[in-house]
Amino acid sequence: MSMTRRELLQYMSVAATAGLSGPGCIGWTREEAIAVDSWHKSVCRFCGSGCETRVGLRDGKVVKVEGLQEGWNRGRLCIKGLMNRELLYVSDRALYPMVRKNGQLVRTTWDEALDAAAAGFREALAQGGPDAVAYYGSGQLFTQESYTANKLFKGGIGTNNVDGNPRLCMASAAFGYKSVFGADEPSGCYDDIEHATLFFVIGANMAECHPVVWERVRDRIRTHPQTQVIVVDPRRTPTARDATLHLRIRPGTDVALLNAMAYELLRTKLVDTAFIENFVSFRKGTADSPPLTLEDFQRFLEDYAPEKVAGLCGLSSAEIREAARLFGISRAVTSFWTMGLNQQTHGVAANRMMMALHLLTGQIGRPGASPFSMTGQPNAGGGVRDTGALAHALPAGRLVSKEKDRHEMERLWDLPEGRISPHPGLSAVPLFEAMREGKVRAALVMATNPARSLPNADRYRVGMEKAFLVVCDSIFPTDTAQLADVFLPAAMWAEKEGVFSQSERRYHLVEKLVEPPGEARSDLEILVAFGERLGHGELLKARTPEAVWDEWRRISAGSTYDFTGITYARLRKLPGLVWPCPSEEHPGTCHRYVPGEDPLAKKEGRIDFYARPDGRAIVYLSEQGPFREDLTSDYPMILTTGRRLEHWHTATLTGRIPQLQGIPTDYLEIHPGDAAVMGVKEGEWVQVTSARGSVRLYAKPSMRVRPGVVFALMHSTEHLVNAATSDFVDPISAQPEYKMAAVRVERVKEGT
Amino acid sequence: MRAWTVLAMAAPEPPHGATLGGTLEVLALFAMGVALVGLVLVEFVLKSRMARSTYRWTLLLGLFILPGVALLGTTGHMFESMKEVESCQSCHVMEPFVVDMHDPRSATLAARHYRSGAIPTKQCYACHTGYGIFGTVEAKRDGFRHWLLYVTDTWKEPLTYKGTYPNANCLACHATSPTFTVVESHGALRQQLANDEMNCFTCHGLPHPARPTRAPTRVTINP
Repeated sequence: MSMTRRELLQYMSVAATAGLSGPGCIGWTREEAIAVDSWHKSVCRFCGSGCETRVGLRDGKVVKVEGLQEGWNRGRLCIKGLMNRELLYVSDRALYPMVRKNGQLVRTTWDEALDAAAAGFREALAQGGPDAVAYYGSGQLFTQESYTANKLFKGGIGTNNVDGNPRLCMASAAFGYKSVFGADEPSGCYDDIEHATLFFVIGANMAECHPVVWERVRDRIRTHPQTQVIVVDPRRTPTARDATLHLRIRPGTDVALLNAMAYELLRTKLVDTAFIENFVSFRKGTADSPPLTLEDFQRFLEDYAPEKVAGLCGLSSAEIREAARLFGISRAVTSFWTMGLNQQTHGVAANRMMMALHLLTGQIGRPGASPFSMTGQPNAGGGVRDTGALAHALPAGRLVSKEKDRHEMERLWDLPEGRISPHPGLSAVPLFEAMREGKVRAALVMATNPARSLPNADRYRVGMEKAFLVVCDSIFPTDTAQLADVFLPAAMWAEKEGVFSQSERRYHLVEKLVEPPGEARSDLEILVAFGERLGHGELLKARTPEAVWDEWRRISAGSTYDFTGITYARLRKLPGLVWPCPSEEHPGTCHRYVPGEDPLAKKEGRIDFYARPDGRAIVYLSEQGPFREDLTSDYPMILTTGRRLEHWHTATLTGRIPQLQGIPTDYLEIHPGDAAVMGVKEGEWVQVTSARGSVRLYAKPSMRVRPGVVFALMHSTEHLVNAATSDFVDPISAQPEYKMAAVRVERVKEGT
Repeated sequence: MRAWTVLAMAAPEPPHGATLGGTLEVLALFAMGVALVGLVLVEFVLKSRMARSTYRWTLLLGLFILPGVALLGTTGHMFESMKEVESCQSCHVMEPFVVDMHDPRSATLAARHYRSGAIPTKQCYACHTGYGIFGTVEAKRDGFRHWLLYVTDTWKEPLTYKGTYPNANCLACHATSPTFTVVESHGALRQQLANDEMNCFTCHGLPHPARPTRAPTRVTINP
């Protein structure tokens, strides 16, 4: 082949251009560290923030989890969110059903396990009637699953013994909202964060427990540095580090503080009198008590002048006044709270007062103005509160105690009139007490670990040992699973399909992306199979997640929970929808009760509290109740419990993720002054003893806690902190007081 | 107003004094000017008064050596000034990213780094060039690819970062700072962060506005 020099140069230049613009540059991109075949939309499995995720699959496995840029979380996740990937493949996944034979849990077939479970229940029913059985569920199940369990037990078996771990977590908030506004769940949404000029955070360590929501708050602070943040917390938490005013309150005195703030707001006239006049009523005790006046309220508050309560709260009156002043003068206040307010014997009162501050100042129903309670689990709101899967409730805000509500549900569920029991069932703590006493003989426990998570846990463990326990979980073993008579392995998160709803009432679809391990099945399949064996197959006509969802949508229609418009097709396409959403064209509602925005608010004007018969929200005259446990020379300190960023709840899930196993959970934060008096140094073991039980932890002297207060995490898998916590419950919500127990802390002598 | 508020709102000052890009530009212009003026003078005025050998040397200088210097100067100038934010911004598709970075009300990582003055100059280049010997080469190749896509009008919407962002770029500054090392989550994820299997942005937020909040960069005219 011959070629002239000119031709050679031409060929070379063509090749160089092609090389540069082809594989050299245009085709060249940076490589992915983890190769992904396909991306899918999903939601995080952990807390109540409900972060939207993008899940990468390869060869039928989840290989990557990222934040969804289109989601409310704008691409962010916390460390637990990232660990959704590892979670599916931890070593202790439950793989096959088991039944107890000769005291041991042994592997069996699904048929045999389900038969055994049904037989145990039938025996209990024969011996003690419907109220001898119970269901104890979880805010981690999908809405379809909690709904089906509720229907099976209340409509099929005929017992209202349907409760779950949300009772331990947000029952006080649910009762608070229901009693104040007539309907449960917060009225605002996360978009309020970008409009708030004051964040009032009380009893919530959001920087660790709802970190992605808190990052959004911090974004607001970063871009609008004049934004004020008041944090009320006995500990100097990471959240408190962002505070412009940190009120280091004595645990259990929130009602006094909030009353003092109301007093101060009224004294300085920083209240919205037009709003109070038109949209607020004053009552004491219950929603149907005789209405009182603003003057009655003011007279009531005279005992709560800042000077009078400062000593009780462990604050200065100036701090209280300043907090009230900031609350009163701010253009838009968003308040956040969670377990710190809910988990005490004054939980409902504190919730009511928090909402009252918003009502007195008219800080509601405007962008940035909202009393917002956060939830702790991915589906406590949608799955349990909305579907009414609690002992006192029925779906969509209905109550067991109301005849009209029962009849409505009987009609909707095609049940004979009178099928639903008129007696509220047993809530969490009394339920396990009834197991101890032998009144409840059989229980189905799903996706939760009460043997660790109940307060005064050792006491109720006895009940679980005694009762016929069917435990259904995706992890084995857990403390509760070890007490089971029948254990059923469950799929989790992306191994099954269902709907989650988070703190801002946003419903999300979690699609099934991978196969569950071993023989694990979805909780919905398990409930349906179990219901059939108990002879209630007819009742459970809807058997796929989509069919159950459609049934649930129909039931919500026309109620104050209307989400008829949240269809599966829309959920597949959109990063969630916020209810009320009554039609398929509706974009979802951020601010409830606002005419023009909330489709259910029909009146004209600033706000329409349509769930209340008189259209007025209620400010309750709420007393600061007495402490259930006085500090004595035997138990001179207050134990309060909480969580840290990297772990979640009883660490059933996070404790099994290798990366998180090195994160310490077994320490007791103690004020350095208290530690010095006891002669305890960092890392030394101490025994924390309450009137109920005792736990050994190592000391971590820290200025984070107040003198006289010690703090422990609820996560420890080796040391049971809940052996010492208090099982006193709120008289209205029946939520236990995890945040306050009188304890004695002693140094453990070496060798003991 | 509190002191940190003022700090947060302040934008970094433009750089003072000479820059390498500017110096190279001056050098190139100077070399070209000298070459042109010299050649005209030598050819039309001084030729008859010069020795033949001097004439050849001056021609060599004016035609080859000084243009060579100018070429080096312009190339160097181009390489250097391409690191400036203005040069990235000159393609209009980059406008939303640069505007966001300069926005005192933006919460993106880019805007926050800009406001804090942590990266006082060449902000795009600082984060978009990998460390190590191939970092600059790769960045130039990326830049050339972007330029080709831009001039041929073949880029795809929405603009996305291709591949995995190297955490090393973040860690180069942050890894040794106590605020980083004290966080136990960072220790727990050491391996994943080192292998880029998890990204700093996942927890700390996006560096630029999220895709749904950005207007399309290409204007489509509907018939």
